[in-house]
Parts: sequence; C-alpha cells; structure tokens
Amino acid sequence: MSTNTLTVVDREGQQHAVQWEPEQSLMEALRDHDLPVLASCGGTASCATCHVFLDGDIVTSLGERNEDEAELLVDAEGFREDCSRLSCQVAFEDRLDGMTVTLAPEE
Amino acid sequence: MTEKTTDPIVIVGSGHAGVAVAAGLRTGGWDGRIVLIDAQHGMPYERPPLSKELLTPGSGDKTALLRKEDYYQARGMERITGHTVESIDPAARAVVLAGGSRLPFHRLVLAIGSRARELPVPGAQLDGVLALRTYQDGLAIQRALVPGAKVVIIGAGFIGMEVAAAAVKNGCSVTVLEFQDRVMKRVTSAPVSAFFEGLHRDRGVNLEFGAAVTELQGEGRVERVVTSDGRHFEADVVVAGIGVLPNQELAEAAGAACRDGVLVDEHCRTNIPGIYAAGDVTRFTSPFSGASQRLESIQNANAQAEALVSDILGSQPRTAEVPWFWTVQHGVRLQTAGVMHPDDEVIVRGDPDTGKFSVVYLREGRLAAVDTVGGLADFRPAKKLIPAGRLLDPALVADPAVKLEDTATGEHSRSDARQTAAALA
Ligand SMILES: Cc1cc2nc3c(=O)[nH]c(=O)nc-3n(C[C@H](O)[C@H](O)[C@H](O)COP(=O)(O)OP(=O)(O)OC[C@H]3O[C@@H](n4cnc5c(N)ncnc54)[C@H](O)[C@@H]3O)c2cc1C
Ligand code: FES
Repeated sequence: MSTNTLTVVDREGQQHAVQWEPEQSLMEALRDHDLPVLASCGGTASCATCHVFLDGDIVTSLGERNEDEAELLVDAEGFREDCSRLSCQVAFEDRLDGMTVTLAPEE
Repeated sequence: MTEKTTDPIVIVGSGHAGVAVAAGLRTGGWDGRIVLIDAQHGMPYERPPLSKELLTPGSGDKTALLRKEDYYQARGMERITGHTVESIDPAARAVVLAGGSRLPFHRLVLAIGSRARELPVPGAQLDGVLALRTYQDGLAIQRALVPGAKVVIIGAGFIGMEVAAAAVKNGCSVTVLEFQDRVMKRVTSAPVSAFFEGLHRDRGVNLEFGAAVTELQGEGRVERVVTSDGRHFEADVVVAGIGVLPNQELAEAAGAACRDGVLVDEHCRTNIPGIYAAGDVTRFTSPFSGASQRLESIQNANAQAEALVSDILGSQPRTAEVPWFWTVQHGVRLQTAGVMHPDDEVIVRGDPDTGKFSVVYLREGRLAAVDTVGGLADFRPAKKLIPAGRLLDPALVADPAVKLEDTATGEHSRSDARQTAAALA
C-alpha cells in the first residue's frame, strides 16, 4: 500500500504537504507532522482537539458521525454541519489521496 | 532560547508527559539537543488502551504508539531506552544512569510517572497476582483472561472496573473486592457509582463491598483471596488496582521538595533551579479550586508538558485547561470535567435508567465538576462554565431540557469560590 499525500491548511492559512500512512487515522498523520492538533484523548473521540474541516462531498461519503463525535462537534468552535469531522475518527482510505484538510479554530 | 548551550534538555521518562515535552520543544522552536530516557525498552505508547482495547477479545498484541516510529529520529530527538536514571547531581547539572555513566543537562525534566501500589498483604508475591501499569502488564493480563478463568479484582477504581469489564467479555468469572461501599468512590458521586454497579452486575460481574483483603493463598501460584470477615474467594488470577504511588524518590534524593508527589509551581518548576517535573509524579495547586492535588490523567500530563515548555522557551503560556478524564466500561463512557469534592451539592440531570445522564457538582452554587454518562452534551459547556465561576440555578440544572450553559444566573464571583474550595481541601 502506498501513502496518501494531503494538503493541510493550518490556522494561519499556511499550506503543508502531509504524508498519510496506511493504518494511521487522519489525526495521527496530522499530529506526527507536528501540526497543532493536541489530540489529548489519543483518538478516542473524547476531546475534540482534532477537529478539522473536509470537503463537503468527502464528509458525506464518510457516512454518519457516531454519537460521541456528533455531541462533541456541535458545540465546537466553528462547527460546520457539512464539513466538520474529528480527524481521529477518519480512517485511512486510498481514495482520500490528495484531499485538502483545514484545521478548525482552537477553542 | 537565545541562551547558547551544547548540553541537551534531558527528559527522564518517555510516557505521555515526556513525549509531549519533546514534541512541544521542537514545535516551539528549540533547536538544541533533546535526550529522552526511559527505563522501558521499545517505542513510547499510549496507556489508556492497555485496560481497554488491549484486553478485549481478539485484540492481538499491538498497542497504540504515542508517535510513529521514525518521528523521534526525524526531529533529531535522541532516545535512550532500557536505562534507568539512578540519581541527579543538581550542582553539576548532570544525571547518572544505571551503570554509572553521566549525562550533563541544560534543563532536566522529570516525567517519571507513577507505579501501581502493591498489595500490602501476605501472598502478594505469588504467581498470578498482577497489576496494570505497563504494556508488559497488559499482555500478562490479556494472557490470563481466558474463558472460564476465575478472576478476582482487588479495588473498584477506574483500572479495576475497566479490567472487570474486559474480563467478563472474555468469558471469565469475575469478582471485584472493594473495601469502600461503592465503585469509584474516590472520584465520583453515589448516582454514578450506582449506575455503573448496575451495568457491571447486569453483565455478570460479582461486586463485594466492605471487603478488606487480608491474605492471598496458594502453592506458588495464587489460589484464593481471603478477606477480614473470613471469606474465601477462589482465584486463578488476581488483578490489584488499588491506586498508584508517584515515582518521586529520584527527585527527593536530589533535594526536590516532595509531599506525595514532586511539588511544582504553575510552570512545573521544582524547587531546584533548572529542574522541572510533569505528569503523574507531580503535586500542585489547582488554579481553579486552590486545592493541592495530584492528577493521574492524560490531560494533566499534556497540560503540564505545555506549561513547562513555555517556561523553557520563554513563550506565552496558554490559559490553564480544566482537568478532565474519561473511562469506558462495557462500552459506556464516563467523562468528567473538573474535580468533584465529597461535600459538593450533587444534581442529577436526566434519568439514569435511560443510560444517558449527567451529574453536576455545585460548590457554593458554582459549577465545580460534571460527570457525563453515555453522552457528551454537557461536557464542553462545563469546561467553559467551571473556570468562569458563575452561579448556576439548581432548579434549572436539574432540568435536562435546559442547556447547561443556560442555567447560569448571571452572577459572578471567583475569589470567594476559590477561598471556599481552599478551605474544603
Ligand atoms: C491501564 C491504564 C489506563 C489508563 N486510562 C486512562 C484514561 O482512560 N484516561 C486518562 O486520562 N488517563 C488514563 N490513565 C492514566 C495515564 O496513563 C497517566 O496519567 C499518564 O500516563 C501519566 O503520564 P506520565 O508521563 O506522567 O507517566 P507515564 O506515562 O507513566 O510515563 C512515565 C515513564 O517514566 C519511566 N521512568 C520512571 N522512572 C524512571 C527512571 N528513574 N529512569 C528512566 N525512566 C523512568 C517509566 O518507565 C515510564 O515509561 C491510565 C493509566 C493506566 C496505567
Ligand atoms: S483526538 Fe480527541 S477527539 Fe480526536
């Protein structure tokens, strides 16, 4: 399996090319590239510090958020129903190669 | 950071706090040497999955790493694994490793965590008596949780109850012995304990309260647990989850002030210049309640790492985050914001029978802490309301139809809330 390359837009609007490895969640790829994603719950949908915006079509194709993710996100800073996801809940998929990820504002 | 030095920042301990410090130093712009030392071999890993994922059936022997394998080298972080730091020479600014080699430091960070408290009873050394702190411990417990095994868990705290949940799922017969009269008494209120007790009993966990263990018996290997009222509990394996002790001895011997934890200020400085401590090993004054506390949580390890990195780099520290914690038992999540006190006013929001409710802890009318069970709707509002110190209307709080943020009466007063809390502590 090959890695995915992502374009990540940080909170200052800077773009970063990020390698996303199979078996990593999206959060792990962001964190391991030193992007300011605190991920304080280690990826268990408990903290919302890994909140990102994805393209609306991609969010739709990923399916429903689970209940914990949904409840954490609705109150999150800058929440957008069509674009918001917790990146720790997004698993690696080949078809996501090249996607753009924007970090949501910090609390 | 403008200070020129060739000596490294030495971080002792590569758990949650140590790795967060190393990562924070690099992202914050520290380009000098960083040396991470750990007594354990292998890659630094996450601890919460050890009592959750690792123990569930069919989970294999993999566990989540704190950072991927090539992370450290790619950032020029030197790692020394399988070596214990035996002593610190504060005057010479050096640490001494087992075997005698010395390593000078520019700054020293003690992120040495805590260890499982050992059972203070005869028989505690028998084979089959286990505790859960490390990955190796997790694997040993995983191997012991075979279908039909008689598992006795001593202590009904987070670790004990998470192991109990995993053990019944593995088809073991499980008894939890607890000296107190309910589960998780140290950290939560009676309604939350009652809910989780029901959950565990429904899944077949046998809970015994007021059970003081006096002896473990067996021929080489544990066979039974004896309690002070003379009862015997047959056991193939015993897991002790009776709390942790801070690994403070290293700091104490070097002259750091300790009192059930290494004492640190809000920047995580010890009383020895140039030496910091973070994570489970520390004791500090809560900026929210004024109480002296030691917190065993990931959130605290990360927050303290961040505070001391700001101090070393001279950067602007972030405002303190309210402490928070989570546990998952039988697939049900308990998530806490703030730290409750037994004297707090306890208000239940919602109906525990639905499996989804919150418990709000008011201190002098102000929000001190929240437990959310089976849902997270009140968690984030609580994290904002606690530091704000606003008075809440108890009648509104009791109505789950009213949003928690809408229960504030509009009145403020932080200073007396702090004083009351300090008096309670
Ligand atoms: C099974 C389990 C489940 C948990 N679940 C949760 C949870 O769900 N949520 C939560 O918030 N918290 C949880 N915790 C608590 C959390 O893991 C700790 O609060 C956290 O790990 C503290 O980080 P730390 O860096 O202070 O210590 P640790 O992560 O324990 O790291 C300390 C490291 O220092 C090393 N060390 C110690 N002394 C020396 C020495 N002299 N020389 C060299 N190395 C040394 C140790 O080997 C260890 O690797 C759990 C803990 C356990 C054990
Ligand atoms: S890392 Fe905590 S919610 Fe994703």
